[in-house]
Amino acid sequence: MATALSRRTVLAAGAAALPLFHVRTAAAAPREIKFWHAMSGVNGERLEEMTRQFNASQTEYSVTPIFKGTYDELINATVAAYRTRTQPQLVQIYERGFMTMLLSGAVVPVQELVAAHGHNINWADFIKPIAGYYTHKGKLAAMPFNSSTPILFYNKAHFAKAGFDKPAETWAALDEQLRKVKDAGGPGSIMAGDYHWSWFENYSAINDYQYATKNNGFEGLDTEFTYNRTPVVQQVGRMKRWLDDGLLQISGAGVSPTAVFTSGRSATFIASTASHSAVMAAGGLEWGAVPLPYEEGRTPRNSVIGGAVLWALRGHGQAENAGTAAFLAFSAKPETQVWWHKATGYVPATNAAYELAKREGWYKQAPTQEIAIQQLMRGEPTANSLGYRFGNFTQTMLAQREEAERSFAGQKTPQQAMDDAVSRGNEILRRFERLNAGRY
Amino acid sequence: MSETAIPTLPPPRRALWPAFLRKGKAKRRSVQGIKASGFEGQLLPLLLLTPQLLILLLFFFIPAVRGLAQAFLLQDPFGQEVHFVGLENIMALLRSAEYHESLRLSVLFTIATTVLTFSVALVLAFATDRVTRGRTTYRAVLLIPYAIAPAVAGFVWAFLFNPLVGPAATFLHSLGIAWDPNRNGDDAMLLVILTASWKHLCYNYIFLVAALAAVPRSVIEAAAVDGAGPLRRFAWITFPMIAPTVFFLIIMNTVYGLFETFAIIDATTQGGPAAATSILVYKVYVDGFINLDLGSSAAQSVLLMIFAVCLTVIQFRLIERRISYEVSQ
Repeated sequence: MATALSRRTVLAAGAAALPLFHVRTAAAAPREIKFWHAMSGVNGERLEEMTRQFNASQTEYSVTPIFKGTYDELINATVAAYRTRTQPQLVQIYERGFMTMLLSGAVVPVQELVAAHGHNINWADFIKPIAGYYTHKGKLAAMPFNSSTPILFYNKAHFAKAGFDKPAETWAALDEQLRKVKDAGGPGSIMAGDYHWSWFENYSAINDYQYATKNNGFEGLDTEFTYNRTPVVQQVGRMKRWLDDGLLQISGAGVSPTAVFTSGRSATFIASTASHSAVMAAGGLEWGAVPLPYEEGRTPRNSVIGGAVLWALRGHGQAENAGTAAFLAFSAKPETQVWWHKATGYVPATNAAYELAKREGWYKQAPTQEIAIQQLMRGEPTANSLGYRFGNFTQTMLAQREEAERSFAGQKTPQQAMDDAVSRGNEILRRFERLNAGRY
Repeated sequence: MSETAIPTLPPPRRALWPAFLRKGKAKRRSVQGIKASGFEGQLLPLLLLTPQLLILLLFFFIPAVRGLAQAFLLQDPFGQEVHFVGLENIMALLRSAEYHESLRLSVLFTIATTVLTFSVALVLAFATDRVTRGRTTYRAVLLIPYAIAPAVAGFVWAFLFNPLVGPAATFLHSLGIAWDPNRNGDDAMLLVILTASWKHLCYNYIFLVAALAAVPRSVIEAAAVDGAGPLRRFAWITFPMIAPTVFFLIIMNTVYGLFETFAIIDATTQGGPAAATSILVYKVYVDGFINLDLGSSAAQSVLLMIFAVCLTVIQFRLIERRISYEVSQ
């Protein structure tokens, strides 16, 4: 080993004709792979721990995690870096940025990259709603990293006081329960900050309602929203009624919805399974969790994911790409996945990892952590439940929220609000289509 | 005729070198008051201005020109596809109901914060003279908000008035007021107006206290001897004498309301609910940095800039003419 190293050093020194001490560090120091991410707090620490595990597992590469702020700030930083050719090798981009990244011309599909560098990943083993969300032309474009899905957390004490041990399975029955919880002196439920994701998008997937034409955008950029002709309209009406009757509360700026739930001031909390870490950390809270409700008479389907994926950016040398591929392969290993799942509450991305977590008895220890993955794996995904593929998805979502909030405030009927949301959304989709014609 | 024969005429061009570098004596100019410039030559002021001009060039003019160019383009964030679309971005905004609403909210917000900030600050500044005990404490308390970061101020106000947990909201509820800025857009607007005014109050206060202090006592006392009551003295003597400061504050408050309240909005309401507090400067940010719609965001900045310039010009035209700057001489 020592002779091999010294020979390489001598060769490199001869080739580069650089002072010897420079070459020494070059040969000894592992090649740096920059990894920009958006995870703060505990999950940020876990992410750093994961990179340390990778760095310790081999000597050729060293992944440096760099926190760049929120998801929105990170995608902006990525754009700016790419335009000035200072981009990192890896970036973590939220699911709504998928189309922007996919068609950006700035990325290498991870499946190609990983395969080109000789790593074996069983691509068929990824859990369907996760792989489906990020697969384009038969290949994973980005590596699933932190995937989550919403579930329903509830406060056991408030439910018990009204005579229930857990929330009902359908929306109609849950409505009655929440009214009784309220009558028994309990609080309303708290609305998560990303309510559009659970109440509209996941609601449509689980109940198998069409959200947009062209298989929710999977079949073409000329997709058009259709959720103003589905029970999403009634869902907006339900939210308005619940808000009026005090069954639902908005936390607003200055207060985190999670904190409202963990402090016992909320009957239920429909939120990402990644909220587990905060909920479990709350002392003295009797809580439980169940899958999301569905409409009576429907067969509940799989929910859709949220979270973020890792993108490999273009513009790096072969050797650096090899390091990026090695880290991506490391992140997909069942052992890494299970560790990440346990440490953060995000779901494991592969069946193998899920099986491993089961064998290790993790779900006996933390049964509610299995809800999300069971919900994701429920039945065969339909065209309505595989996911959403819209350009400018953040913008269409914000327009939708704005219109829904107009309805909550009583300025528009739910139907009018969703009609306007759809027409604004479609305009935004057309803008994206125009810029990206022929590229999808 | 020799030059010395007409000493009263000012030189036709201003000299290049400042007086102390030139031979001969500097000529005294007739302009006095705030507008009078103390420089004789052109080179020294130019040199003194250079660093600031360079900073402006780098951080204002170059970005502004690039922003202006973006307003006429449709492009994806990564810049691989760029279409020239002419006035399309701007026309789309002028047609958009959301943009009209945002403009209306901005005007409302700016006028409300300007009036509220200025009038409260004027009362407080006027009262400063009458406070005899604890004047330092009085001033210090009023200056505190200025030292607080806008984002923190926004967060604190959002918390105080949060309908679920905020003490101020609980108080309003106990009075029977259905206060809910999370759902009711008017409540949210009121909240950001209050926050922004509170934050900017002391800026106005400092200038007004200084201006009031500069009003000669003798004039006011003379008026008092002539039998003018406090209100009359204020309206006919004090206010005209502090008019330059008042004018300056109106301009600064307008600029503040239009441009510098982003952080407060972001921390207090994030433009919501239902875009009820999404004033122009916040919308520029959301469309540019959240929605990555660079063309529209740039077009909005251009319109906002035109809007602010027009407003300032109008203010100068309408108000400045009535102001005399010959106060402190």
